[in-house]
Amino acid sequence: MKQILVIAEIFEGEIRQVTWELAAAALEIQAVFLKNQHSPGSQIPKIQIIVPSDNPKPLTEEILKETGIDVIGVLIPELTTYTSEIYITCLGKLMRKMNPSHILAAHTSQGRDFAPGLSLELDAASISGVNCIGSHENGLIYTRSVFENKKDMLIRPDPERLVVLTLIPGAFKPKIYKNENPGKVDIRSISFETAAERRIHSLKITKRSCENQALKGAKVVVAAGRGLEEKENLSLVFKFAKALSSSAVGASRPLVDMNWIGYEHQVGITGAIIAPEIYIACGISGSSQHIAGMENSKWVISINKNPSAPIFRYSDICIIEDVNEFIHAFLKLADTIDSGRSSYNKRRDKND
Amino acid sequence: MKILVCIKQVGDSGDMNRFDAHALEEALLIKEQSSVEISKPVLVDVVTAGPPKAEKIIRRAFGMGADNGYHIVTEDFGYVSSLVTASRLSSVAKKPSYDLILAGIMSEDMMAGQTGPMLAGILGLPCATGVMKTILFSGDNAIKVEREMENGYRDCLVINLPSVLTIQAGINTPRYPCLSNMLTANQKQIQCLAAADLSPGETRTREVCLGMEEPGKKRAGRLLKGSLSDKAEQLFFLLREKDLI
Repeated sequence: MKQILVIAEIFEGEIRQVTWELAAAALEIQAVFLKNQHSPGSQIPKIQIIVPSDNPKPLTEEILKETGIDVIGVLIPELTTYTSEIYITCLGKLMRKMNPSHILAAHTSQGRDFAPGLSLELDAASISGVNCIGSHENGLIYTRSVFENKKDMLIRPDPERLVVLTLIPGAFKPKIYKNENPGKVDIRSISFETAAERRIHSLKITKRSCENQALKGAKVVVAAGRGLEEKENLSLVFKFAKALSSSAVGASRPLVDMNWIGYEHQVGITGAIIAPEIYIACGISGSSQHIAGMENSKWVISINKNPSAPIFRYSDICIIEDVNEFIHAFLKLADTIDSGRSSYNKRRDKND
Repeated sequence: MKILVCIKQVGDSGDMNRFDAHALEEALLIKEQSSVEISKPVLVDVVTAGPPKAEKIIRRAFGMGADNGYHIVTEDFGYVSSLVTASRLSSVAKKPSYDLILAGIMSEDMMAGQTGPMLAGILGLPCATGVMKTILFSGDNAIKVEREMENGYRDCLVINLPSVLTIQAGINTPRYPCLSNMLTANQKQIQCLAAADLSPGETRTREVCLGMEEPGKKRAGRLLKGSLSDKAEQLFFLLREKDLI
């Protein structure tokens, strides 16, 4: 029987959220086979969740409890910290003895690191950054973002061949799993050292001290992007934020990379993931890594001069203007209205 | 020591992929540091697999300070899988033995992030992706790197050479080509290889591209209309309704 193998994402001994999304995507793939089960020669693949760890038992139990899906704990004594060579070598060894049709991993710093190598090891097709799974009479079709998130590309792997997929975190919603047929846990041991010589030595994992509490607590986040064009224009965004109550300034990654603004302002998958009441994107095009950091905001306003900027697809209010000109106009107007009101108030005071 | 940097031409402008420019800059920084600190000569070569017009980015790389350029001339139409590209690049990468192979974390157009790690797989080398810092050890034949992870975490590793690293933006600021390099860049010989002449690494297509689509909208997206000041006014009152201004 064929298998759909889900590689659980484990970080510092904990199961990451994306694991539940991968399990949901595996069920989506399986559903396509269930739909076609009466066509000749069709086989329904079985889902199994693979948990590589130096201590897989507690993790496997948690995953089984949550999903009811069969779990295989892969005990790799050397896996005190993740390295790509341990994953590729050990999972390759394990999976060659199995019969997988699909292997699912997360499109994260970890999944992106080992999945292409694992696909070579298993002579598989490899599709990265999948955000949607569809089907067609000839099999499954996968969608991935291309051209800086401006287009979707449809890819169909050779249906006869194993395919390794990395899935974008957040693209698939975790399900409430029915535990009617609770699965089972199986623990297998694989030693890396006997399989290969170690060439990647893990030293430590560091956490950048990010004082982004202001960003996380703000009701309104005004975020700056490359559309500002000059570092000097950042002051406009700060003024804009200052004009609004309970606000903080965010920034897209390129501005932090260019040292225009500190890392504590970075919004995105490698910075802060936030969900304020209002998110105002100023000159941000909307890379997938940025979207992942702000897409749960309650209300999104975007200002960008490029009508095809991907950020507009994630926005409630779209303003197609040069961001610098727009903020200028906005602040000037706010000033006039406020001074108008205060002079009105003064007049009223006099008349009283 | 020899470093190979894999570069790609992207977009209508035909510029060098942004992430590859960071990879080339990192190679040039390693070269400069090594010549000062350990007086060890370092050679930086670049390779691209692309159509004839991709020559432009090799000239650009010369202008930045690359020593040799290899151009695998392709005649593809449409989708080229990462595996095919990695397999083509491997024909240059394995000839003179490189100690370090760098590539951008992904290309701006295809955004797959697979070519670097697949090249490592083909060559049987260790690989680290999303590198934000490198420190070369002088005698040890190893490099210390920091990989960027989510939420501000970094993974600090030491990797034996030879190895493949894919470079994340933010590691450095790519230099502009300098005038003296630009003057010689046009005289420099680019070593061309026809993709069709390479021994086929991968013949059977593993996946096909069925086409492109406009991505769907996630939110309604009300478009504000009118002049610049009309739009500013509309936004002002929208924010005032919410008691924010």
